[in-house]
Amino acid sequence: MIFRRGQGKFKRGGSRKDEPAEGGTLATFVPRVPWRKSAIVQFERSIPRYQKVLFYVLLAGTVLMGFFLFYERTQARDRLAAQGDATPLFAPVSTSTESFTLDLANDGDGSVTSVQRQIALPLEPSVRARALLERLMAEYALPEAKHPLASGAAVDDVFLLKLPIVDANSDTTTQASDAGQEGELAVVNLRGSFVNQHPSGVEVEMLTVLSMIGTIHANFADITQVRFLVDGQPKETLAGHADLGRVYPSVDTTAIANQMQPTGDASGGSQ
Amino acid sequence: MHWIDGRLTRAVIAACALTAGYVSAQTAPAFNREMVVIDAAHGGPDGGARINDHLEEKEVTLAVAGRLRSLLVARGFTVVSTRSGDLESRSGLPLTSDQRADAANRAHAVACLVIHASASGNGVYIGTSPIGSALAAVPQAGSQARAAGGAVPWDRAQEGYISQSLGLANQVGTALSRAKVPLAMGRVAMRPLDNLMCPAISIEIATLHGGSDATPVSDEDYQQRVAEAIAGALILWKNQAEQPESVTIPRPEGGA
Repeated sequence: MIFRRGQGKFKRGGSRKDEPAEGGTLATFVPRVPWRKSAIVQFERSIPRYQKVLFYVLLAGTVLMGFFLFYERTQARDRLAAQGDATPLFAPVSTSTESFTLDLANDGDGSVTSVQRQIALPLEPSVRARALLERLMAEYALPEAKHPLASGAAVDDVFLLKLPIVDANSDTTTQASDAGQEGELAVVNLRGSFVNQHPSGVEVEMLTVLSMIGTIHANFADITQVRFLVDGQPKETLAGHADLGRVYPSVDTTAIANQMQPTGDASGGSQ
Repeated sequence: MHWIDGRLTRAVIAACALTAGYVSAQTAPAFNREMVVIDAAHGGPDGGARINDHLEEKEVTLAVAGRLRSLLVARGFTVVSTRSGDLESRSGLPLTSDQRADAANRAHAVACLVIHASASGNGVYIGTSPIGSALAAVPQAGSQARAAGGAVPWDRAQEGYISQSLGLANQVGTALSRAKVPLAMGRVAMRPLDNLMCPAISIEIATLHGGSDATPVSDEDYQQRVAEAIAGALILWKNQAEQPESVTIPRPEGGA
């Protein structure tokens, strides 16, 4: 047999052992393809068609299974990563967020500035007031706060009392004030732990009081007066300076805190 | 001069004791333009704010008050100090805020200075009574009746002097600004400001933050700088203060 690459031809036999010993002629086709390819072609010709189909189906199934396993592996890795994430979840809220005004104090210049925050708060007014004041104090616990206070719960309760307050025992009207009989009195019951940790100083204490009063004024139009208690009891001062014994009017404290500046005019003071 | 201040203070305290529980209505005489009251806040068991691990507010206020008193006496003022040591009463306890106010009211001073100190804030914070502003305390039951009776309510004794107090705050604030001391001013709801019948301000001295360095309130140069600015302002103020209108002198309800 003659094998030549790139061409094929018929050659008469007779020189090989497998040729008939006598008579007859055997024509052998020599394909014009490389020897390796010809071997594959011969091999393919020797495989039944149904086996070839089965082979390709299984091959495709294997590839698809590979893709599926890769996808499942990615999904499993994401699930495990999510389980290891310590980031706190958002608290479930039953109400939508609303825009509220917080009066934030600044120890640097003694000012009080109004800022807007989107907060989800309860609907009941006294609980709403307490949550809002807690949110205000949480702002002061942030590292970048300009009026830094210790973190932790600050307000125990807020009670709202209609004015004028009626004394049931004497059957007379006990006036919480001689002026401003309209609206409500907000009694803010501060926690003793908050008061004990509060920095001591005229400015820092006064700014805390102004900040709370201003926040109440900005968000609760019905509240006209504010009084402070500590653990349910009257207390003279917040931390040795700012008076907690008086009843404060609910007013815009941003103007009060920011209106006084030295004028350099020796003739009079600034209001 | 120091012992004169002490004698005067003790005399004022004795007078307070004699009038304990007595609510009188006298016409206020014209104030003495050479008289200044300095109230070094806190004292005794009331240490005030903790400035650092080894220093309390009462010590700083006493030191600043001492410096200010020396400067004012040198400039011809007569100074009444509510506290010249850690304790300032025969009972061994410091004067209450009402007692301090009563002592100051009897001096008819041209200026009453309540000295405080703090570890928070920056520079000096000058406060005046909230009386006359929107933040004025809501009057309690019965106070209007007392006012109708002719006497000024104890909690509103500052009412007739608030415009003068604002002028004094402006004068001192301007002097401190010129001395390059960071300054903030505001209304302060704090005793005994509301009970003082004189141009009255509170002066809180805090740590001085400038650039990368911070000057503590215990720094003697810083204290002297502030005291000199205040003394300079008072020299101008004594000629600018206006006499109050005729008012009645209130006394604390429980007595001194």
